[in-house]
Amino acid sequence: MVDILALALSHGLLALAAWRLLMRPDLDVESARGNASSPADTAPAAGGKARASRSRTAPVRREMRWPGADDPREDGDA
Amino acid sequence: MLDLALTGFVACFLLIGFRRPFLWVLCYLYVDIVSPQIISWGILAHLPISLMAFAAAFLGWVALDDKRDSRFTWRQGILVLLLLYCGFTTWTAVYPAEAVEKWAWVWKALVFAIFLPFTLRTRLRIEAVALVMVLAASALIIDGGLKTAGGGGGYGTLRIFVENNTGLYEGSILSAVAISIIPIILWLVKYGTVFPADWRVYLFAGALIFAASLIPVGTQARTGLVCLGVLCLFYLRTAKHKVLIAGGMALAVMVVVPFLPPAFLARMGTIENHEADQSASTRLGVWKWTWGYVKQHPLGGGFVVNQSSRVEYDTVAKTTVDGSTEIRRTHVVEEGRAFHSSYFEMLGEQGFPGFGLWILLQLTGLLQMEQIRRRWRKRTGPDEAWVAPLAVSLQLAQVVYLIGSLFVGIAFQPFILMLIGLQCGFWSYLKRIDVRLPQASIRPARAAMRTA
Repeated sequence: MVDILALALSHGLLALAAWRLLMRPDLDVESARGNASSPADTAPAAGGKARASRSRTAPVRREMRWPGADDPREDGDA
Repeated sequence: MLDLALTGFVACFLLIGFRRPFLWVLCYLYVDIVSPQIISWGILAHLPISLMAFAAAFLGWVALDDKRDSRFTWRQGILVLLLLYCGFTTWTAVYPAEAVEKWAWVWKALVFAIFLPFTLRTRLRIEAVALVMVLAASALIIDGGLKTAGGGGGYGTLRIFVENNTGLYEGSILSAVAISIIPIILWLVKYGTVFPADWRVYLFAGALIFAASLIPVGTQARTGLVCLGVLCLFYLRTAKHKVLIAGGMALAVMVVVPFLPPAFLARMGTIENHEADQSASTRLGVWKWTWGYVKQHPLGGGFVVNQSSRVEYDTVAKTTVDGSTEIRRTHVVEEGRAFHSSYFEMLGEQGFPGFGLWILLQLTGLLQMEQIRRRWRKRTGPDEAWVAPLAVSLQLAQVVYLIGSLFVGIAFQPFILMLIGLQCGFWSYLKRIDVRLPQASIRPARAAMRTA
């Protein structure tokens, strides 16, 4: 009985975690750090420096896709 | 029924990987930690699911994942060198047939640790790996914790799911691993996004930490108790409310000790009084033998060279009756005993070169996590605050492992190699995204600290 309880609880949570990960587009595609951070992070400082900073923190829009598959960013809720 | 449920779970895990191939990596983590093929007696026991999960994870990454963000870190290089060196010592092993048996799982664990960092391209993937490792280990920890709380357990007798003494199912190994993941559980509670913090998360995490603390009691493994003490000590180093937490820990010890079973207290007493304890004397004897062996064979004797060990020692037991003390000395001879220490395991099996690579791998992990902690601790942005605490958690987990390793031969424990892989991936990810913060974001934080 204890074995079943331990297995059910842990595997239930693993299944829920896998399901939630399945629905998260940021599993494969990371949005720009600047977009999600505080406004101070994205506030433009001096022109050249800000441009350099933006280019270094540029969005990493690289994803894992099956050939011909839909855009994974459209199927998530997060 | 259980067999069917486990088979269905693994099949579903593999199937959803077709939607998100990174889930195959998580599936491999689950299979390697829980080993459902050991618990199951039907279909799973007859399928090479570990190989299937690894093949899916690797091929999924090769064929479908973006590799532009993958970096080869120099700690992965150390792992490669260690893998090659272990291959060499297996080739020249003193016991070739037995050495090949250990090599058969060691190389897989090392290859996966080398591979894992390549897949950790996003923050969520790093969190997902930590989460799956904790949840998979929680199956064993919850089972062991509940059985201990129900009065079961004992040294070498705590039965977790099945009668098995391999991998995490061995008492001392499980107690060291259970304690080492406590800091990671705390990090997941505070910074996890898959299960954001709410009362259910707090409840589960609290119960899981309690169960993990019970594992050393249930297995009566002295290693676990030492690990728990070390974790408490090191946790205070970076904790914000040191006095409060230290007081809470002291209170917890005072409350718990009266409820501990006498057998556990008697066994823990042998940490201090080791002369009368055969197990402790064996360890000291084997370590002495190993040191003598490695001085004669500096390149090591290959896996399971401990089979040629021969240990002789006297145990001294004192018994006092009516004021007179009787000292009883017993001569013991033992052969082929285990190393009972990862450090001596590495020295004996892999010699000085293998030990050097292994210790370098461990120490650089501690240093890298410390570097990350120092670099990121003042960054408080919503997408940055998670970094320094994760570095501390991974560092603490490794410290606990290194202390536990003093008394248990777990140099190639796959769970720990996964943690090292996670560290490498975490380091590589931060190197890629790390940029010097604009002064604008630092100033408000400093101003807030001054006014506080």
